Amino acid sequence: MKWLPTCKETTELVSRAMDQRLPFADRMAMRLHLSMCKNCARFNRQLQAMRSQFRLETSANDDAPGLTAEARQRITTELHKKLD
Amino acid sequence: MNTLDAQTWLTEHGDYLFRVARRQLHSDELAEDAVQEALLAALTAQARYTGSASPRTWLTGILKHKIVDLIRRQIREVELPRDADGEEAIDCLFKQDGHWAEPIRPWGNPDTEAEMSQLRRVLDQCADRLKPTMAQVFSLREVAGMETAEICKELGITSTNCWVLLHRARLFMRQCLELNGFSKAGAA
Repeated sequence: MKWLPTCKETTELVSRAMDQRLPFADRMAMRLHLSMCKNCARFNRQLQAMRSQFRLETSANDDAPGLTAEARQRITTELHKKLD
Repeated sequence: MNTLDAQTWLTEHGDYLFRVARRQLHSDELAEDAVQEALLAALTAQARYTGSASPRTWLTGILKHKIVDLIRRQIREVELPRDADGEEAIDCLFKQDGHWAEPIRPWGNPDTEAEMSQLRRVLDQCADRLKPTMAQVFSLREVAGMETAEICKELGITSTNCWVLLHRARLFMRQCLELNGFSKAGAA
């Protein structure tokens, strides 16, 4: 990678950095680009925001629909079957 | 062993478990299967439940395993996307020289509970629109918080494949949120 990655390359680094520790050179290159580029800095913040919204603990007890009555009945039947 | 406990679990935690599963499996049917399998497994394993965690936490732990099982079973039937798939969509976002084609607009901060639940709804809808394999890898990573190495192993895919899928999914999701009105003038 060149000393200063393009925006496209930076998005790849930003994404990869969310999954693993980047090699030193990549990390520096990414930081340098992010410090100079408003768009990529925003992109980075938005991916982080998306992640925190998604994590199970913060997001599971919303008002999404629950089990239907049919499903509930079916599962009850299975539970009883298991015990017989 | 008694059915009473399992029945109580279903009554008290069924909806919660279903929502957790639904978020990751993107299908009502599969989510129902996951809840059923988790409760059946819990019934078998209840002797080992020590009560140190709340029943909901304990059940959610079992459910997570069942979700991964279901995803693993499913992914065998899904072909990994090849380069053409999604690569074009990414290329559209950038100019030839690698700069953004369009400026990235800022998102507003959802302050109220109503705005938050609206955001979660849109997130779920966008996630439902991801291609199946992408959705599965994305869910395991971003919703369940599994490590990529673990995901690769579970699903039997290479780390490069895994990473490409995640990157494309994130770009798609960000784009989808923006198209659904999560950019706001004047906010960071």
